Amino acid sequence: MADTKTRHSPAPAASAVPQQQDVWRVVVLNDPVNLMSYVVMVFKRVFGFDETRARKHMLEVHEQGRSVVWSGVHEQAEAYVFTLHQWHLTAVLESDEAG
Amino acid sequence: MKRVEVKLNLEAVAPLLDVVKAASDELGPRLAIDLPPPGPDGEFHMEWARELLSGQGDDIRVLLALFGSEFFSTGVIALDPTNCEPVLRACSALRLRLREAHLKPLGDENLETGELPLEDMPDEQRKAFAAYVFLATLQELLVLHLDPTIMEG
Repeated sequence: MADTKTRHSPAPAASAVPQQQDVWRVVVLNDPVNLMSYVVMVFKRVFGFDETRARKHMLEVHEQGRSVVWSGVHEQAEAYVFTLHQWHLTAVLESDEAG
Repeated sequence: MKRVEVKLNLEAVAPLLDVVKAASDELGPRLAIDLPPPGPDGEFHMEWARELLSGQGDDIRVLLALFGSEFFSTGVIALDPTNCEPVLRACSALRLRLREAHLKPLGDENLETGELPLEDMPDEQRKAFAAYVFLATLQELLVLHLDPTIMEG
């Protein structure tokens, strides 16, 4: 479902280094407050995941402390992290170089 | 989701609204979540935080608007497609703030199970916990109406 209320992230930071070929990961970290059902709903709405996939990622976050929910180009990854922050999930951006 | 009217127990909910309002005031200048440390572009990080803060404030105002004069005369709040997402997000922000400000000493595992000695808690902490649970209940209600399959799983 489209998230019509979600704002766009700020314009991406300018960089002198071409990043077209870099792969960036959107990682959601566990927090002790947000409800499991809420996290599943956010994953479904933000990423368009089906129920099974959304629940799998939610359980990874809950049990392992983190889950890679998306990977791809920097600008889109950054936009996803911003949207997850709007929903008050703790999300970070990692590059492949970070391991 | 269709418009849903929820009748709440005024006597039970009204005292919690003071706690919710206080938490919303505390969140005025700060984000509910901790952002990762700023990268080399500090201005970009600040703009990111500014936009989040603005959205957080907007969402909380939508939540508080549910509890206006009509609520105090009827005990009813109305949830609909225009306010459901802001209310969901506002509940999350306020719960994060309540934990940070009042509930951390209780331990996250105890908070999650809800198995807490209410009678031993100081009054302020007990009210904060009650507001924390109330906001979670509101979120569950909204998720149930937005996507019933999630609550079934």
